[in-house]
Amino acid sequence: MDIKELIVKLSDAVSIGNITEARDIAYGELSKYADCRKTDSLTVIGEIKGESDYTLMLDAHIDEVGFIVKDIDKNGFLTVEKCGGIDLRSLPSRVVTIHGKRAVTGVFCSTPPHLKEKANFESIDGIKIDTLLGSAAAEVISIGDYMTYNAKAAHLSDRRISGKALDDRVGVAVLLDLARRLSAKRLPFNVVFCISDMEELGTRGARTATYEVSPDEAIAIDVSFADGPDIPALECGKLGGGAMVGIAPILDRQMSDKLTALAASASIPYQTEVMGSATGTDGDVISITRKGVRTAVVSIPIRNMHTDVEIVDINDVTAVCDLLEKYILEGGVR
Amino acid sequence: MLQFLRELCAIDGTSGDECAVRDYIISKIEGNCEYNIDALGNIIAFKKGKNRAKKKVMLDAHMDEVGLVITHITDDGFLKFCTVGGINCESMMFRRVKINGNTIGVIGGKPIHLCKGDEGKKLPETDSLYIDIGACDRAAAEKMVAVGDRAVICSEFTLCENKIMSKALDDRVGCAILIKLINEESDYDFYATFSVEEEVGLRGARTAAYTVNPDCAIVLEGTTAADIAGVKQESRVCVLGKGAAVSFMDGATVYDREYYKAALTSGILCQPKCAVTGGNNAGAIHLTRSGVRTLAISVPCRYIHSASSVCDVNDINAAYQLARKMISEMASGSL
Repeated sequence: MDIKELIVKLSDAVSIGNITEARDIAYGELSKYADCRKTDSLTVIGEIKGESDYTLMLDAHIDEVGFIVKDIDKNGFLTVEKCGGIDLRSLPSRVVTIHGKRAVTGVFCSTPPHLKEKANFESIDGIKIDTLLGSAAAEVISIGDYMTYNAKAAHLSDRRISGKALDDRVGVAVLLDLARRLSAKRLPFNVVFCISDMEELGTRGARTATYEVSPDEAIAIDVSFADGPDIPALECGKLGGGAMVGIAPILDRQMSDKLTALAASASIPYQTEVMGSATGTDGDVISITRKGVRTAVVSIPIRNMHTDVEIVDINDVTAVCDLLEKYILEGGVR
Repeated sequence: MLQFLRELCAIDGTSGDECAVRDYIISKIEGNCEYNIDALGNIIAFKKGKNRAKKKVMLDAHMDEVGLVITHITDDGFLKFCTVGGINCESMMFRRVKINGNTIGVIGGKPIHLCKGDEGKKLPETDSLYIDIGACDRAAAEKMVAVGDRAVICSEFTLCENKIMSKALDDRVGCAILIKLINEESDYDFYATFSVEEEVGLRGARTAAYTVNPDCAIVLEGTTAADIAGVKQESRVCVLGKGAAVSFMDGATVYDREYYKAALTSGILCQPKCAVTGGNNAGAIHLTRSGVRTLAISVPCRYIHSASSVCDVNDINAAYQLARKMISEMASGSL
């Protein structure tokens, strides 16, 4: 499967809470190239052994933002809580999938035109979901069921893809593509591929996975903000501008320097993302696990983060794969 | 009728750009009526019935849906647009769109994480929205689209038990009902107009009604239903599953009282539209020439003018049955 197909397949699948469809796909792919296992916290870990005991861990998160049902009224309207950061203004009349006893297609209600009071975006409690099932909703849907965006990935022009969970399935796709590339090569050290869970709920899976793996260095692969008409240039990267290499006080400076130097010398498109403290990725917890881990963050630029119309540029994804492959083959910062 | 509706909703046809809808309708009514196309693109059809009509009855359904029109291409390859018909901002934020029936784009925006202060709780100005078709610059965008091109918000027709969710239920439901009425035997002659440009000022119906010059008219529409969580009983307007909504008055028309009452007492499942709100082609038709007695029969639609409007199949059937009965009552002269 080429990386574009992989991204589409992963983005369309669901992984939230106890639903593991995307994780299962990733596990299946990874196990073609690496020795795989699932940890107690259900993170997927794959390993390709190298020529020393030194270990570099690559991390990407499999979970997507979504919702959880907290009430079902007698007319088949749901009240939900958010799982992860969601823009409430984008919800009215948006189609969703409710993962009940079967998948149910529902829609967020919108304020009818004749009702003068403006829509309220203070709390998601006021924004209900129409299950279309009326009073029969409770037979199929239960409190605690998850709900996700309903949108199949689409190609925009020949280089860009739009989908509902590119954050961080593109990162997972990078891991899988690297596993494929590296499995055919002799590696200077062990490479562990960590497909972690619950990043959107507080970088939880990476914390426990890193404790178990106890790597010598780690790179978290996530997404970061790409440019758009409303976004000040200083607050984002450029879609199509290449791999975003993170530079921050909590990240290992030697690693980020080596990454940017390698990219420049190998003419791999890259850009830097400078942050003043933490990065908002799994890198934040990986770096302070156990006695500490030397950590870098490399991101793929993304537009419309956390909506069902996220957009990435395939050239940026390829740039990250090329850069990390080179970084690993050149021995990291060992 | 459900199959007609599914196929009609899948066609993109915004106001002034209804040709694909028109071609479909013609392909379905061909051979069952006489018709011609007027200067604006209205289909004006005459259905011969078993009996001659004592009063000339005109039924109308509009072919156009709300959508977007591209107004400008920026240097960075983004598209600026304005709405064609009324669409509110929250129905457009972060949506997939289809331009010219084939180019996929996305209405993008600032992610919530980058919004400061109260910014993330207030809707942006509609004219700050833009479409992203994945083009890197103006030249790349110009290979794919042009200023003036039309777009609709993407939608998948979904049938769940008796509920339908789709874009353009307003007014493809009306078109589907009218196709069925034309394709069956009718007791009386009647005229049918599939009109253009309703969403931008009831324009097609104005000229179609002038041409037909009817004595009486029935407008087949989709109307807003607010029978959803959080809406008070008195604001619900009409309810899914309770039948066709019959209007006594709306923002554009005061309907013929006798027709309104006759519809409610017809024995067919229907409900009054319990609000004076909205407007439809009756607004133009009832003021044609020296006036036309008019009735509106509507299918209740939740989330109207969004890409995920919801209606009930039973209400569509009720609207069809009511229209059929009212044609006979009006054409026979008994009303």
